[in-house]
Amino acid sequence: MQHVIVFVEHKAGQTRKVTYELATEARKIADALGGKAHAVVLGPGSSSLAEQLENYPLDVIHVTDDADVDKYLYDPAIDYLEAVAKSTGPALILLPNTMLGRDVAGRIAARLNAGLNSDVTAFQLEGGKAVSVGPKLQGSTVVASGFKNTEYGVATVRPNAFDAQAGGGSAHIANLEKPAGKAYAVVVENEVEEASGEMGLEEAPVVVSGGRGLGGPDPFTSLLKPLADALGGAVGASRAAADAGWVPYSLQIGQTGKVVSPQLYIAVGISGAIQHKVGMQTSGTIIAVNRDATVPIGEFADLLVVGDLFQIIPELTNMVQGAKAHA
Amino acid sequence: MKIVVSVKLVPDTNAAKRIDPGTKRLVRTGLETVLNPFDEYAIEAALQLKEKLGGDTTVTIFTMAPESGKETVRKALAMGADDAVMLTDAGLEGSDVWATSYAMAQALEKTGFDLLIAGGLADDGNSGGVPGALTEYLGVPAITNVRKIEEAGDGKIKTQRETDSGYQVVSGPLPALITVTMAVGEPRYASLKGIMGAKKKTIATMSLPDLDLDRAVGTDGAKTEVLEISAPKVREKARVVEAADGATGAQAIFDFLRERKLV
Ligand SMILES: Cc1cc2nc3c(=O)[nH]c(=O)nc-3n(C[C@H](O)[C@H](O)[C@H](O)COP(=O)(O)OP(=O)(O)OC[C@H]3O[C@@H](n4cnc5c(N)ncnc54)[C@H](O)[C@@H]3O)c2cc1C
Ligand SMILES: Nc1ncnc2c1ncn2[C@@H]1O[C@H](COP(=O)(O)O)[C@@H](O)[C@H]1O
Repeated sequence: MQHVIVFVEHKAGQTRKVTYELATEARKIADALGGKAHAVVLGPGSSSLAEQLENYPLDVIHVTDDADVDKYLYDPAIDYLEAVAKSTGPALILLPNTMLGRDVAGRIAARLNAGLNSDVTAFQLEGGKAVSVGPKLQGSTVVASGFKNTEYGVATVRPNAFDAQAGGGSAHIANLEKPAGKAYAVVVENEVEEASGEMGLEEAPVVVSGGRGLGGPDPFTSLLKPLADALGGAVGASRAAADAGWVPYSLQIGQTGKVVSPQLYIAVGISGAIQHKVGMQTSGTIIAVNRDATVPIGEFADLLVVGDLFQIIPELTNMVQGAKAHA
Repeated sequence: MKIVVSVKLVPDTNAAKRIDPGTKRLVRTGLETVLNPFDEYAIEAALQLKEKLGGDTTVTIFTMAPESGKETVRKALAMGADDAVMLTDAGLEGSDVWATSYAMAQALEKTGFDLLIAGGLADDGNSGGVPGALTEYLGVPAITNVRKIEEAGDGKIKTQRETDSGYQVVSGPLPALITVTMAVGEPRYASLKGIMGAKKKTIATMSLPDLDLDRAVGTDGAKTEVLEISAPKVREKARVVEAADGATGAQAIFDFLRERKLV
């Protein structure tokens, strides 16, 4: 394994912050392995996104605007990625640990007969090798895992685990040729946007989450959203809130939801069950608001404020908005 | 239609876990095994489809797991699946995503299916890589993160596929593999009748000699290796502030955010 290839997740040219985190880390890994840092951007909107990526320390950005990438589910994307990997030779492929990243990771790993290390939060770069470090077994253990018996490696990387740093860019943009002789059968017939969904919960720098204590759907929009907006973050939820139908499952954080690692996590009316904890325990700072002083979240939060959330949150939102206005 | 559900057996979330420093693997003795939570949704989706299609539709549970997992497999049968196939062999121990998927694909090919349903993510490894790798080794079309199966039969499947901001309508030919999300519906509880009936259902086993593997699996075949294990950073107990009213509570949080330079 010598080179590094970043698979860029995006939608019509709009990408996630994790792309820049991966591009930054790719440079460090490529230097340690003595290879080049590549990125692959596929589908409509890719050319404009590639221009933004030029600000990052990559060597080659492989691009195609081929509409088939969006028209057929994954299959064309896997073929393009495989073609890039074959052209660079032995490489470590980095993908974000998101729904899409995981889907692509398993496929490209099998296609290249490569090892897969998942949910990576750090790389140890010693002796010309890249060792993946990440939490396993619901966060109860941290495992350092290397690759063996393989020329290629694949790693899914947890958003917010690495710094993104622009600069040092001198990448050359390479247009990809369409892989020949392929027929695709899994068709995306249409796409429906539901306002309820939230893009990028995994990479939001701040997450304000609500649980059963909110008592209904309305406080998510009337209480939590304004606070999240003031802090520049996103709204999340516990499973109790998602199961009650107050928010869509795409906002659920935890064992059977999303894993987030923001700088700041505010848990509002959430007790902190182990299944919730595993989805947010690596957050930078954890603050909980709960009327019960004995809740499990007190065991691992940094600050537990005991009181009524309906009184505390609006006041807090005012204070944060005020501070921003004076900044 | 023959539906096969790929189910992983995982250690219970609430159980204390220990890694053997020698083998660097999880000590499974004495550890309660459960059906991977996501896979219960996969079973639920399969049973719903069976109810909808009726006729000669069957649901088979497939798992690659040690023999001791048999009792947990019965729980899946108690939910309403018809039978189960276990791929069990000491030679599979230490398999990583690659080796697991490679061996599973061979066994699934022998089992046969029109629709293979998997969960999106296992609770122990957080990889989510197995369904994608199976897709490749089985050479079947795949639709991931399905929240609703709109139609299945006559050689094709049409689904609603969950995205971060809504859904897509995605269709493809059968046989196919799909992974499902929790939106397919709460997994049903096993009824008493289901539990009794499960005792009589067949759990067939397959082992390595039944497969035509031309590459090593288990620890030798794995393409990743655990080099080091360590304990995670433990979080301290919270500083607790009792707030007499909203303003005091908000002030406590605001001061804390200031202190940590988060506002
Ligand atoms: C297999 C499995 C998977 C699971 N996966 C997940 C998962 O991914 N994510 C997840 O979150 N859970 C998950 N759970 C569920 C988990 O066990 C808990 O049931 C759930 O997290 C509880 O949600 P909650 O904290 O919102 O509700 P509760 O535990 O009911 O807590 C509500 C809290 O709100 C407080 N409260 C109420 N009113 C107020 C008020 N006015 N002011 C201040 N505080 C107030 C209460 O004191 C209480 O602590 C899973 C469970 C299982 C079995
Ligand atoms: N050993 C296994 N036996 C059966 N199914 C499995 C196994 N490992 C993974 N799977 C399936 O693949 C999904 C994702 O698992 P993983 O890739 O391990 O996170 C699970 O939800 C299961 O449906």
